[in-house]
Amino acid sequence: MRVPYSYLREQFADSEPILRDIKGLLESTQFTLGPPVAEFEERFARLCGARHAIGVGTGTDALFLSLKALGVEPGDEVITAADTFIATAGAIVQAGARPVFVDVLDDFNIDPGKIEAAITPRTRALLPVHYAGQPAKMGPILDIARRRKLPVVEDACQAISAAIDGKLVSNFGVAAGFSLHPLKNLNVWGDGGVIVTNSPELDATLRLLRNHGLKNRDEVEIFGYNCRLDSLQAIVGNHLIRDTEAITAARIKNALALDAGLAPLAPRVRVPKRLPNERHVFHLYMFEADDRDRLLAYLVAREIEAKIHYPVPLHLQPAGRRLGYKEGDFPVAERQAKRIITLPVHQHLSQSQVQFMVDSVAAFYRQR
Amino acid sequence: MSTPAMRVKYMDLPRQFEDGAVVARVIDEFKRCQFVLGPQVAEFEGRFARACGAAHAVGLNSGTDALFFALKALGVGPGDEVITAPNSFVASAGAIVMAGATPVFVDVDAEYLMDPARLPDAITPRTRAIIPVHLTGNPADLDAIGAIAAPRGLPVIEDAAQAVGAAIGGRVVGSIGTAAAFSLFPLKNLGVAGDGGMLTTRSREVFDKVMLYRHHGLRTRDEVEIWGYNSRLDTLQAIVADAVLDGLEAVTAARIRNAAFYDQALAPLAPHVVVPPRRRGVRQVFHTYVVQAERRDGLRQFLESRGVETKIHYPIPIHLQKAAAGLGYKRGAFPVSEAQSERIVSLPVHEYLTETEQHYVVDRIGEFYRR
Repeated sequence: MRVPYSYLREQFADSEPILRDIKGLLESTQFTLGPPVAEFEERFARLCGARHAIGVGTGTDALFLSLKALGVEPGDEVITAADTFIATAGAIVQAGARPVFVDVLDDFNIDPGKIEAAITPRTRALLPVHYAGQPAKMGPILDIARRRKLPVVEDACQAISAAIDGKLVSNFGVAAGFSLHPLKNLNVWGDGGVIVTNSPELDATLRLLRNHGLKNRDEVEIFGYNCRLDSLQAIVGNHLIRDTEAITAARIKNALALDAGLAPLAPRVRVPKRLPNERHVFHLYMFEADDRDRLLAYLVAREIEAKIHYPVPLHLQPAGRRLGYKEGDFPVAERQAKRIITLPVHQHLSQSQVQFMVDSVAAFYRQR
Repeated sequence: MSTPAMRVKYMDLPRQFEDGAVVARVIDEFKRCQFVLGPQVAEFEGRFARACGAAHAVGLNSGTDALFFALKALGVGPGDEVITAPNSFVASAGAIVMAGATPVFVDVDAEYLMDPARLPDAITPRTRAIIPVHLTGNPADLDAIGAIAAPRGLPVIEDAAQAVGAAIGGRVVGSIGTAAAFSLFPLKNLGVAGDGGMLTTRSREVFDKVMLYRHHGLRTRDEVEIWGYNSRLDTLQAIVADAVLDGLEAVTAARIRNAAFYDQALAPLAPHVVVPPRRRGVRQVFHTYVVQAERRDGLRQFLESRGVETKIHYPIPIHLQKAAAGLGYKRGAFPVSEAQSERIVSLPVHEYLTETEQHYVVDRIGEFYRR
């Protein structure tokens, strides 16, 4: 049975209404900001239960601009998880600051118990990641932030609609960055990102920063950037955002079925503990597995598009080693990098595809 | 007030996508569900490089990012100075600030272009690059600028955001400096349906770095060579650009023809209206058609009332913007740019303009000064 990782073709099968609106845009030619972006921002803010949403070019830029708006600059340090997509650290470097990594928990998110030790007089912000769609431990993180008077920016790029005790991500920190990359739970058909904040001051600054610092056509308030969410992509977003709840529910359902199916395979397979008060939205379905590389090859041979997110932790990448990091600095993240595997969990999977994945993982360990 | 006899729009963007074939082609390509990079982007990059006579072209999210990446690839950073013109769109200076460097301005000449005679005075030991702007689609004097830059080992980055297809002799812009930045913003001569930009370069080294910068520094899916950025030309916009590129020569020819008409028809209105001098041997592509006019604001109001849309590119020079307060420039620092900013007006010059509309525009300008 084929179990593909990407589902964009399925999404496109029902694309006529979107294409109709895109044709309309090509005729109206309101390509830059304008009504579709404003509409999307309003819907997105509502979806997050937050006051302001600002459409930007990418999730990376959402994080970068948030840091800039908070005044992060060269010489500063920003603390983040050792185990994340490259762009989290890239955004910190882009702001001129130094990424300071902290090891992670078994749920692949930053370990709050290790944050204090990473704080120095140069620390200017905390950037926890809701990795894979699993919310980070925001309670303890916010306690530290309050005590040390540090702003928190949430990397929610993979975590639209994730929540802790019913409180949606993006409402914990001063700002949150989301990605609309094509493979995200809520996606567009190219690059896109959103910043969510409850601060009117940050909202105003971010709107300047994304559009050359222009207060109006002719007046430049501050030097800024060009990172706008394309109107065309906002149109796609306006259609797909209506499905976010259904997509999230389908992914959670698939994940729970995988959890149940894989549980008997412990300890060879180690699925992170699920807590009832945390809503994990499963952008990725990740677990640790013995003999991971051979399992991956076995699944791929069975046409299951399993992946690894990611095989080399950031601090051991050439770019990370240049910051002075070395093997052994983050033992949990390093262990996980050797053991993690990601199965398809998307909303277009059938029950039999999910069952086939469980059976295949079980068959792999039986044959050994 | 009565309805004007005619309406002359500054730009007629909807006409660009009036041709159902373009839209159909875009939608059709789109159905392949390739949304990030991929063969369509590579295909457009190849065609764009050939059109510019450049060795390499990279598709990016914006023209601003193209300038920024060129600076980064050349090693520009905090403490450095980069020289550009004060009368450009703000992004020319914004990209320098993005790189952590300080913009240093050089006043312009009667053609609105960086004045090479004033360039040597702006060069300091901290100068790391020069960004002449091909403003309006008119190539800056890269020979004179290059003659000053080369002996000092300073790279020249062309700000060609408004100048796709422009040329000096047989050399097309984008192939002359070490690198060049183009914008694909919707209103550009080669415009897409959102944001987009292109960097061209003759340097293999710059090309390699920019390919990494635009995609998170990823050498492969799993290997992060350097810390990078996310600035990719959307695949969808590459498809649009590829379709629009087919018509670029016709667009350019129409704009040149329209400009030539104005040049001739407005000449008798001197000194009320001053058309910039036209250098021989350069190909201007007229992204904008900018003249200097007496009582500029009154003229614009009058034209507006007669149905003619005009613009100002740009009413406030960058060094006098609030954003530039920290750079320490005062009014009077760049007298030519400042004087021009009070007199310049951009007339419609787009490819859909008819001769009748152009006659109408010129007649109304004549009428204003006769009153």
